[in-house]
Amino acid sequence: MSAVLPLSIPVPAATPAVRPRVRWVPAALIAVALAYLALFLFVPLAAVFFEALKKGFGFYLDAIREPDAWSAIGLTFTAAIIAVPLNLVFGVAAAWAIAKFDFRGKSLLITLIDLPFSVSPVISGLIYVLIFGLQGWLGPWLAEHDVRVIFAVPGIVLATIFVTFPFVARELIPLMQAQGREEEEAAAVLGASGWQTLWYVTLPNVKWGILYGVILCNARAMGEFGAVSVVSGHIRGLTNTLPLHVEILYNEYNFAAAFACASLLALLALVTLGIKTFVELRQEHET
Amino acid sequence: MSIQVVDVTKRFGTFEALNGVNLEIQPGELVALLGPSGSGKTTLLRVIAGLEQPDTGRILFNDEDTTHTRVQEREVGFVFQHYALFRHMSIFENVAFGLRVRPRAQRPNEAEIRRRVLALLKLVQLDWLADRYPHQLSGGQRQRIALARALAIEPKVLLLDEPFGALDAKVRKELRRWLRRLHDEINLTSVFVTHDQEEALEVADRVVVVNHGRIEQIGTPEEVYDHPATPFVYQFIGHVNRFRDPHAASDANAAYVRPHDIDISEQPDASAIQATLQHAVKIGAFVRLELARNDNGDLVEVELSRERFDHLNVANGKVVYLKPRHSKVFIEEAA
Repeated sequence: MSAVLPLSIPVPAATPAVRPRVRWVPAALIAVALAYLALFLFVPLAAVFFEALKKGFGFYLDAIREPDAWSAIGLTFTAAIIAVPLNLVFGVAAAWAIAKFDFRGKSLLITLIDLPFSVSPVISGLIYVLIFGLQGWLGPWLAEHDVRVIFAVPGIVLATIFVTFPFVARELIPLMQAQGREEEEAAAVLGASGWQTLWYVTLPNVKWGILYGVILCNARAMGEFGAVSVVSGHIRGLTNTLPLHVEILYNEYNFAAAFACASLLALLALVTLGIKTFVELRQEHET
Repeated sequence: MSIQVVDVTKRFGTFEALNGVNLEIQPGELVALLGPSGSGKTTLLRVIAGLEQPDTGRILFNDEDTTHTRVQEREVGFVFQHYALFRHMSIFENVAFGLRVRPRAQRPNEAEIRRRVLALLKLVQLDWLADRYPHQLSGGQRQRIALARALAIEPKVLLLDEPFGALDAKVRKELRRWLRRLHDEINLTSVFVTHDQEEALEVADRVVVVNHGRIEQIGTPEEVYDHPATPFVYQFIGHVNRFRDPHAASDANAAYVRPHDIDISEQPDASAIQATLQHAVKIGAFVRLELARNDNGDLVEVELSRERFDHLNVANGKVVYLKPRHSKVFIEEAA
């Protein structure tokens, strides 16, 4: 680039010499990144759908409509429908308290919210077995009163709630902290009560963050395997969620059916990604 | 509505934000709380508003104790430093908010809300912005909307935290004149916080100088400028020279002199201070001179009219004789 410049023009000392652009460096980096993505994301995703449809579309539909698969889908939705709203309410409450107020034990609360992220899901399931299982603390009492938690739906719901606990709160805390407290203070000075402030000022400001948290929470609730596996007992048609059902089919060498059910989870992931992208775009658009 | 602050103390952890503050504000006054950052002036404003609870002391509105009245019921208008407009609401809804959140029995009907909001927007000369959103407005416009919103609840007092702090110099000047006119129009007891002495002196009826959580002086702009009560006020408001006695062991008993209260002469004078001119800057109608005292090397700043400077005909490096016209000595400064 310097060939045509007369040499007498002094170059300011602070300006680094401009190097000729090497075009293959960015190209190579992009290629590596794409190859990596293809190998670890696209190939497995494509394989899921390929294997699922290997024996034809009719077999695929049958595998999904089969009663045990259908009950697994139902249970998965049941667990998510209970866990997501509970964690939504808890997440909003916790984030509101943490971001907008000062109190003792705040850092302890933040640590506790993160606990499910730092604990292995298997341990999360085991905790409930140790508490509610027949040999557990409350097990004998529950058995006496004919209440089943472990190897039954309540256990699955509890385990799901536990592992999806941080999603909404974790999404909202940094957002609310960044927005500060001035708008809430302004609302209070104007005479708004705590509920009015929450409803008309705080929540509208974080609505996209809430939706984002709910989407992630829901995806995890439906896809959770480890914790649910420990408390479920794998009773077909009763305590199997979709991920557990996939595992059972696979272990029985029923690969096409296993992949058919797995493809539903993969679809869920794709839909989640789609909504997530949409929410992010809206969020960007509004700020 | 008068405001009384009685013996108010407020700590944040080990930091003493307010330390035994007493202040009385008359109905209809426009008062400036002036001080450097960290002096406690914003905390004082927030305590008056009810956004902070004082550790000790009381706040009285019209001789009525409001120390424990909740901020929602205190009926104050508060304008935040960064405006704190509700970002997801239109300008109209921002101003209407205070009316809409009232209990049903006291809430005006929709037509009345509309009438009042538009009247307020007209008052701040921004009625054409009703349908916009805060992020579409300039800083000065947001500031005026924040004021309209604060006035919507018909507050008993108006409190403004650094109302012009985030604006550029030109808008700031326009807005503060506008605020002064607005205050004369609606005559609402108002308190504003500022770190800008020029702003305080120009806008306020009375200035309260705050430093380290204490009030240093309360007075009209003329009083605090012409008769500062403490060395801090002298140094904080306007420029000042400290003349140390070159023979004294300590800094005590230094004399404070404004740069425009010093006369310069070329004629030797036994009672004058000998100094060497180092630098002269012409700023508009006056000239600012920087001189070094010959006896102890201290820098002295002098302001002369352009005319007087031209008449003197001095150049850098020349020895001249300084004679303070007014000076003030604070005997107990060292204590």
